[in-house]
Amino acid sequence: MSQQTDTPQGGGAPEATPQTMQLGAARGGFLSQLRVTLARRTEGRGLALLTVVVIAAAILEPVVFTSYQVTLGRVALIGLVALGLTAVILMGELDLSVASTLAVSGVVMASIPDIWLGVLAALATGLIIGAINAFFVVVVGINSFIATLGMLFALRGLAFVLSDEEPVRLSNIDAGIAFGTPLLGPLTPRVLLFIAAFIALQIFLSRVKAGREFYAVGGNRQAAMDAGIPVRRRIFTGFMISGFVAALAGVINTLERTAADPTAGSTVLLASFAAAIIGGVLLNGGRGSVLGTLIGALALGILQVSLTLSGVQVDIQDIFIGVILLLAVITDPANLRAALAGVRSSFRSREKAQTPV
Amino acid sequence: MATKESLTEAIAVAGSPASGGIEKKKFSPLLWIAENGVIVFTIALILFAVIFVNGFASLPNITDVFYRAAPIGIVAVGMTFVVISANYLDLSVVAQVATAAVIMIGISNEYGLLAGFAVATLVAMLYGIVNGVAVGFFKANAVIVTLSTTFIGLGVLRWLSGGSIFFGPEDGPIRAFGQASLGPVPASALLLIVITVILWFVLNRTTFGFAVRAYGSNKEATRLAGVNTTLVVIGAFVITALAAMIGGFALAAFSNTAVSSMSDGYEFRALAAIIIGGTSVFGGKGSVLRTLLGVIFVSVLTNILVLSGIGFGFQQMAIGALIVVAVSVDALARRAAKK
Repeated sequence: MSQQTDTPQGGGAPEATPQTMQLGAARGGFLSQLRVTLARRTEGRGLALLTVVVIAAAILEPVVFTSYQVTLGRVALIGLVALGLTAVILMGELDLSVASTLAVSGVVMASIPDIWLGVLAALATGLIIGAINAFFVVVVGINSFIATLGMLFALRGLAFVLSDEEPVRLSNIDAGIAFGTPLLGPLTPRVLLFIAAFIALQIFLSRVKAGREFYAVGGNRQAAMDAGIPVRRRIFTGFMISGFVAALAGVINTLERTAADPTAGSTVLLASFAAAIIGGVLLNGGRGSVLGTLIGALALGILQVSLTLSGVQVDIQDIFIGVILLLAVITDPANLRAALAGVRSSFRSREKAQTPV
Repeated sequence: MATKESLTEAIAVAGSPASGGIEKKKFSPLLWIAENGVIVFTIALILFAVIFVNGFASLPNITDVFYRAAPIGIVAVGMTFVVISANYLDLSVVAQVATAAVIMIGISNEYGLLAGFAVATLVAMLYGIVNGVAVGFFKANAVIVTLSTTFIGLGVLRWLSGGSIFFGPEDGPIRAFGQASLGPVPASALLLIVITVILWFVLNRTTFGFAVRAYGSNKEATRLAGVNTTLVVIGAFVITALAAMIGGFALAAFSNTAVSSMSDGYEFRALAAIIIGGTSVFGGKGSVLRTLLGVIFVSVLTNILVLSGIGFGFQQMAIGALIVVAVSVDALARRAAKK
């Protein structure tokens, strides 16, 4: 995973996306086509969790749905970070630095008096951080888990340094209040921003060639390279998307609280990872969908808000989300298969050991 | 489990030449820096501190460095096992250290030291087994698994302890250990050395240690050689957890207090010490003695920053940058060596 050589983009790179795989199997009538389609979907676990959470919330804390402004705001925050993660994880990489990116960009934004200039600077910060991450992963060749872990800590430090270890108040509080009022029907600007980001990424990953190549890069990097896909450039794009949306989440978070907290983002980190992974994005890359991430974000957002409304402390909320993430990563289809194969092979070897040679 | 010799043979046969398990040494300066640079860097850093940093070369300060290095060091030498087994790291040591410290002081206050140790050991085993089963049996990603167990563990700890600070009795055995010293060397630093020696023995002189290193350099070959790799991974995480528990004890003894936030940043400091020491995050290569040197480097660096009045934020940036730079050197060296 450490070395990629950029092959020049030869004419007519084949589209090695999952969509093409369906064609061959789709001939056997509607039912079998449906079965194939369902087997290809990765959103099952996310949907199951969403169902459980919605039913539990409807019975125990129906306020979640009547005060949907709060719930949607939470979903938007978790979902934005999770969308960026989806782009990166699809390629088999990971961006742990999103939590600190959120904090740093928030502090950058609040430190600049002019609100629009601040937003621009914050988003630029996110892009730069994404580029730095990608540089270490693509050019230097470090595993993205470790590179972005180092960045997570370093950027947290940067947030403390820039903010003098105290929350930075937004100078233009009116902008924050305006940002929290409904703009289109009942939807506030932050929810609209999330919807826009969701649609944009959905179109990018399913309709744009560069986006569809993300799947190929994650599915089989060597094959993607041989097929002429500029793997290094795609990974750069992925990390910059992730940095950008994390910064956007930082902007939204800062506007919402009218202050930038240098410690922001640690709970969002866990929830957004849980959203992406339970939503079916395979950690090894190559499989997953933006829709699954949305489902995951909805489930975790509703869960968090209903726990908060029921008066459950933050510590216990952390336990809930931690358990969901642990279960999500264990029940990842590839991991389950590996575990089953391990059990089967150990049985087989025991049988072999018993038969005399 | 097979004997060490037959294991070596089997892995040599099964492993591909590029795996790095058994390879010809070709001198490469970058590789030398990645593996042995820590000796030069540590000596240079100490010389720099002695000459340029006011107040470094005083006995109270050296003792203070030892006191602060001991808990991180114990955690880091334990976590070296997880890193060598090519499972990146155990993020949950941050929760493990704080949990152990709170249990040691909290339970020892009520039921005596032995009960405190017993409960702390059980909790450490639980951490090690949960992390180890998730990573070793379910083949889940170690970073994500330990990230979630960190939040679960810290959540439980804050919930049960209410985030309050626990104080040990002034005449208690934990306090006595925290204040005991041999000349300028505190007892906790001696404990670090004892743990390092024990873990060096486990890693370098036992079949289990050999299996950990073999698994780190080539998972599939080690499995084909007949090693129960699930147990190897669980073992690596259990050793890390037990070391983190003892690190928590040393940390609690240092101040005779315990609180859920006392070990913030330990996972990153321990990782920095391990990587700067020359243990590769790619797995297979490394030693606890190198980690010990890495701990000295990180502790002296932190001490210099503190003495120079540099704030908490810059310290974090320095440690984070150290991790990224050290891994970069290792990655570039390995690539250069392969060419």
